[in-house]
Amino acid sequence: MNSEEMLRRTIAKFVDNEIIPVANDLDEKETFPRDLFKRLAGMGLYSIRYPKEAGGSAADNTHFCIMCEELARGSMSVAAFTAMQCLMGTDFLFKYGTPELRERYWRPAMRGEKVAAFCLTEPGGGTDLAAVTTTARKSADDVVITGYKTWVTNGPVADFYTVLCQTDRSKGPKGFGFFFVPRDTPGVVVTRKFSKMGTRATEISEVIFRDAHVPREHQFGPDGSGAALLNSKLEEIRVMTAALSLGLARAAFDASLRYANEREAFGRPIGKYQAIQMKLATMATEIEASRLMIYDCTRRMDRGIPAMKEASMAKYFASEAACRAADECTRIFGAYAYSNEYPASRFYRDTRFLLYGGGTSEILQVIIAKELGL
Amino acid sequence: MYRDARLGVAELDVIVLVKQVPNTAEVKIDPRTGTLMREGVESIINPDDLHALEAGLRLRESHGGRVTAVSMGPPQAMDALREALGMGADAAVLLTDRAFAGADTLATSYTLGKCIRKLGRFDLVVAGHQAIDGDTAQIGPQVAEYLDVPQVIRATRLEVRDGELHAERTHEDGVEAVRCALPALVTVTREANKPRYPYIPRLMAAFDPNAPIKTWGPKDIGADERLIGLKGSPTQVQKTFTPKLEKKVEKLSGQPAEMARALVGRLKERRLA
Ligand SMILES: Cc1cc2nc3c(=O)[nH]c(=O)nc-3n(C[C@H](O)[C@H](O)[C@H](O)COP(=O)(O)OP(=O)(O)OC[C@H]3O[C@@H](n4cnc5c(N)ncnc54)[C@H](O)[C@@H]3O)c2cc1C
Repeated sequence: MNSEEMLRRTIAKFVDNEIIPVANDLDEKETFPRDLFKRLAGMGLYSIRYPKEAGGSAADNTHFCIMCEELARGSMSVAAFTAMQCLMGTDFLFKYGTPELRERYWRPAMRGEKVAAFCLTEPGGGTDLAAVTTTARKSADDVVITGYKTWVTNGPVADFYTVLCQTDRSKGPKGFGFFFVPRDTPGVVVTRKFSKMGTRATEISEVIFRDAHVPREHQFGPDGSGAALLNSKLEEIRVMTAALSLGLARAAFDASLRYANEREAFGRPIGKYQAIQMKLATMATEIEASRLMIYDCTRRMDRGIPAMKEASMAKYFASEAACRAADECTRIFGAYAYSNEYPASRFYRDTRFLLYGGGTSEILQVIIAKELGL
Repeated sequence: MYRDARLGVAELDVIVLVKQVPNTAEVKIDPRTGTLMREGVESIINPDDLHALEAGLRLRESHGGRVTAVSMGPPQAMDALREALGMGADAAVLLTDRAFAGADTLATSYTLGKCIRKLGRFDLVVAGHQAIDGDTAQIGPQVAEYLDVPQVIRATRLEVRDGELHAERTHEDGVEAVRCALPALVTVTREANKPRYPYIPRLMAAFDPNAPIKTWGPKDIGADERLIGLKGSPTQVQKTFTPKLEKKVEKLSGQPAEMARALVGRLKERRLA
């Protein structure tokens, strides 16, 4: 067995035994499951992408996506906050944070003692990040952050935020910079958590920065590096979101197949009817296609080959395929899909998150078209 | 055992025996040939052995020392040892060679015993009570015999205190508390603990070429070729089959008292009452 299979098997066992049995409860409680968050840290999941010298597993994109896929098969909420803790919420802190910041925030985050969040989206712009208005004003001895961020995954429970700011309005995206803001900085205001359709075991809120002063060392990278830093992560974020989609599609398929074999109508299991068989055959085919696209993309990335087009295609296809799989799942389950006692409803609600995180399908199509030279 | 007179610290050298088995929850027996249909069935660490590993790791955590996992099996049993390292074992030894193949419990116990001797110092050998693919529960006791150390079988709790092993064995009608001198061998059951999940950075490090896993053959442990593998095995499995279960259902009818009398009669006929 290679390390990829071993990782998959290990995460799958944890998911089957510890996450799937509680996934619906977590969803109903609509609360960030801190105990589970800590248990995942106890298995060393959050440091998986980081170097061995730092205590991580030095996982490449393929390994990381395998982990994300398996977690999403159990609970999209759990997979979403894990991905946040592994990648978007801590990556710049690890790479560009001072040794002191790393010691105070990154290490505890890896141990599950601190929660990370990533703030790009604003009320005035999600897809259109050029519209970011949160500003970082530098003075002689510190930086003052002012602005309004929304849809912040982990916003209500986070201990620190990586915030995309505008440092020089005249420069547009060339004036972007990322800044590190601890939650306890005066001027940081976290609003009430959102009431939302899916991924209900993650908490999301707005985070407002009212003249929040942070030391100058809290700037990640040189002036004007924000857009480049973000671009350097987009492939990873997209293919990871595709892996989350694949995990959820598999969960919907597995549940559908089992149900199709068990549920009887007109004296036969419904899986004996061609109408249901066609749904399952299509789901299985699209899952296989997603799998091939995702891991072809990660293997390219792992060899250092640019893969923006492939990552965008994988995310676009896999997230839409997950939506279709969850949709069919709710049809196969009949009325029982409408009840929160069964997982079908959760799958259906959770898939919608995949349409926005990591870029909407529409903007991904725009990007793919651009890659095609159009 | 290492003792520091001033600090009163005692470190434990623990050896855990680990077997890789087919996940029998998934294995079926071919009704025609009577053999196990192993194709496509995943291999796992024998469930009781996970509890043995957990017991060994907990002892190390409270006393310091080392845990070494030992497995005899085909090359792919390396996976079981990697998982053991992932859970926290400090080192591992894979006993693998064509000459070891076909071993019964006696030859296996001899091979494991030789390996333990070769490893040198140990305070405690921990093994699972039994393996799900053989269900003999013979390896632990036989290895203890070979090593000539005391054995505690089917422990449900264990700790080391004042240089002795204190263990509990749960029976239908109570709990037996035993204690014995070290070095010793103990086998544990599923009630002993809840095994931890592997720690991913350690599990991934177990795939490094310099991971602390040794691969030993008969020569490395100084085994007598006549006592290992098929040659060293007096027991040979002749046939594996699924016993046919035949059910006969008889419905009793009549008044409740009549039916009860008839039922007691039937039970008596079959000597069940
Ligand atoms: C559960 C969840 C968690 C999230 N977590 C975070 C987080 O942690 N941090 C964070 O910063 N953000 C987060 N987001 C926000 C997410 O990144 C945005 O929702 C996403 O970028 C889309 O932005 P928007 O919702 O403002 O939609 P808009 O950008 O307003 O888009 C509206 C519609 O217009 C389409 N559209 C926009 N521009 C174009 C174009 N040029 N061509 C064609 N169509 C276009 C879109 O595809 C969409 O259909 C989260 C969102 C959700 C739902």
